[in-house]
Order: sequence, then C-alpha cells, then structure tokens
Amino acid sequence: MQNRIIGVALALGLGACASTGPTAPGEVPDPYEGFNRQMFAFNQGVDQYALSPAATVYETVTPEFARDRLGDFLGNLKSPVIFVNDVLQAQPGRATDTFFRFTINTTVGLVGLWDAADYFGLDGHSEDFGQTLAVWGVDGGPYLVMPFLGPTNPRDLIGSGVDRALDPLTWTEFAGQPDLDDQIAMGRGILGGLNARVAFDDQIKSLNEQPEPYVALRRIYSSQRQAAIRNGRPVDDTEAYDDLPDFDEFEN
Amino acid sequence: MSRTTNTVLAVTALVWSALPAFADAKTEAYVQTNASEVLATLNDPSMNAQQRTAAFSKYMDQFTDLDAVSNFVIGKYSRRFSEQELTAYRKAFRTYALAVYENELDNYRGKEVVVKDSVDRSDTDSIVNTVIKRQDGKDMDVRWRVLTRDGQYQVVDVALNLDGNLIWLGIEQRAQFIALLDRANGSASALIAKIDSMTADLKQSKRT
Repeated sequence: MQNRIIGVALALGLGACASTGPTAPGEVPDPYEGFNRQMFAFNQGVDQYALSPAATVYETVTPEFARDRLGDFLGNLKSPVIFVNDVLQAQPGRATDTFFRFTINTTVGLVGLWDAADYFGLDGHSEDFGQTLAVWGVDGGPYLVMPFLGPTNPRDLIGSGVDRALDPLTWTEFAGQPDLDDQIAMGRGILGGLNARVAFDDQIKSLNEQPEPYVALRRIYSSQRQAAIRNGRPVDDTEAYDDLPDFDEFEN
Repeated sequence: MSRTTNTVLAVTALVWSALPAFADAKTEAYVQTNASEVLATLNDPSMNAQQRTAAFSKYMDQFTDLDAVSNFVIGKYSRRFSEQELTAYRKAFRTYALAVYENELDNYRGKEVVVKDSVDRSDTDSIVNTVIKRQDGKDMDVRWRVLTRDGQYQVVDVALNLDGNLIWLGIEQRAQFIALLDRANGSASALIAKIDSMTADLKQSKRT
C-alpha cells in the first residue's frame, strides 16, 4: 500500500514538473488543488466522525500523566530514525544529542516512559528523511494532501516511506508470535494518533475557525517544514524580506 | 591608485555594505514608543473592558493604517468591490482586526517592547525587529513592517517568529481572504459574513 502511494506521488510529482507554472513569492505550488481539497474534506470528515470522538473518549479515560508517559515512550521509539537522519545530514552534534537522549531515556527514563534526558539539558529535536532529502538539495515538489496522512509533498512522502524502512521496529519479528509485530505497529499508530489528537485539539479548533482552513493548513505545513529543514534557524534578515508583497499595489 | 583613493573606496564600500543596518532611527523609536504605549493601555487597571477597548482602538488608529491593511488583505478584490461593498467590508474588517490585535497583544500587556535592530527595504518601507517578554517569561521575537507616507509612520503588518518560522499576520490573512473570495465568486457578502462570525467568536473569548 505504501509503495502504491509512493508510486502515485511520484507520478503526480513528475506530472507537476511539466504542468506547474511559476508561483508568486511565498506561494505554495498546488497544481492538484482540486484533488487535495477533496482529500482534505475526507480527512476532516474522518476527524469529525471518528478521530475526534475517539480522542474525546481516550482523553476522558486516561489521566494526563498517562498520556504524557505514552507520549515520551513513543517519542523515544523514534530516536533511532532521528539519529540516522542526523548522521545523514552530517550533524554530529545533533546525532550525539540523539544518541545520549535515547541511552538516558531508555535506561534512567525506564524504557522511555520519562524524558529523563530533558532534565540533563538534552533537548529533543525531530528529523526525518524528507528533511534529509531537502538538506541534500531535493525540491519538495507540489503540495499534496493524502487520505489519513494529511499534508505532504512527494519528497516528504518518499521520506516517510524511507523512515519506516529505517525503523528497527519495522523489521522486528517475535519467535512463535508472527502477528505480534503487526499488532505492536497498529497499537503504536492508533495510540500515537489519539495522543497527538488530544495534544493538538486547540490548534485543530483554531484551524477550523479560519476563513479558509485548507489554505491555512497548506501555508502552515509549508512554512513549518521549511523551518524544520533549517533546524529552527531563522532566515537571514537580508533574505527574509525579499518576498514581501508590495503594500501599496492595491491602494485606492 | 593613491592611498587616499583607496581609503575613500574602502570607507564607501563599508558604509554601503552596512546600509541595511542603518535603518531610520526614528522608525525604530516610533515602534518602541507606540507599541509600548499600546501594551501599557491593555494593562491599565483603572479601565474597565469597554474603556480599555476604546483606548486601544484609538491608539491602533494612530499606530496602524487599517484602511491600507483592509485593501491589502483582499488584494485584487479591493478594485472589484463596489464602493458600497468596500465600505461595508472595511467596517467589518476594522472591527475584526481591532478584536484580533487586542486579543493577540493582550498576551503581552504591560510588557516593554525592546528594539533590536531594523532593516530598510526601501526609503519608505522598513522592518523593525523587537523583543517582547511574554507573560510566561519567554522572549517573543516580533517584527513590525512600517511604511512612511508624507512623513508619517504607520505599521502595516506584524510578524511573529515561531521556532524560526516567520508568520506575517497580514499576509496569512490575505492568502485566506483571497482564497475565500475566489471560491465565492468574489462575493463581498460571503467574506463579510465570515468576518462577522470570526469577530463574534473573538469577542466571546475576550478578557472581561
């Protein structure tokens, strides 16, 4: 299934190379807006009728303490993938941080249930193969919205497939229990989704109150990815204002 | 080439390369004074909510050019709306914008705005970089776009730096308003209805 999605994304990406016209400064290329809006509406329906009610029940039956422990545990499981991407991006300092965070959290933090590394001043960060490709100079391509996955682009979609392949848990098999690895992966996905939905409830409400939630999400996704690729470093002041639109253009 | 000529060229090059850092000091002072006063207004304990909003609106009228902002956020539609539509839209937008800014800036009430530096985009278009300490103790990087018209300074957009992500409030609003109008065949009433509904939501969440 993942391969099929990647295949579709590649085809869409290649098609876009031929069909995408130049976009205005600061605009996000979105040549498949019709398809994307349908997928966005589908995802909003899934959220409204399934994810949001499930998250409400989940929030009611789990104390915040338990959700925090689960969030830390799932976050720690991502460390090997983050570490590999730190290395691939030639970021030895960040790779060292990730290595020690994983070591401390898995031991002192009781298999990752507590972010003990944070107490030692080792702040966490996120990396993925989409960001690695961007650091290597690969362009994101057109904006895409995928069912269940949400906003992405061909580069980040391929990146998420590679991250899955890089994750040791993808390849872990349990002797005598051939289905256990799939059950763990499913549980990880469902609990991670519910935990994230509860954590981002305010932001999702705020997004839905925007005049055009689709456009707002497209811009948020694009700018947040750019900031993540720069590892949170601000754009240099001499370049940050080049793309600002002329204010007097529409003066009466 | 003589030593004098070399020195003159070197100094000229130095001054030229440093020009963006020498934005008009008056622009920086304008932001420092007015933004701090706006935040002080929001923190004045002698005022009730109604008086606070009235004082805030008066300050914002001096500090910003809301008519220019209202035109900017609808782009090409500012020329397509009829005079009547434009008047109704501007009235709705003004109420909405003041409610947005009052809600947003309320998080920084009573805090001082500290100017870091500024960059000139042109003789009449500058960005002033400031830091405001939030209620939760964190420093917030806020940038103000200031235009000079007929010798008068006015703020036309504000950007928040969130984890290296520079969000210009006016530009974000513009992207959404234009998309809404594009999808509603340029209907001013559809936009005004949406703005009114957002204003009502904002007023519900306002501090009393």
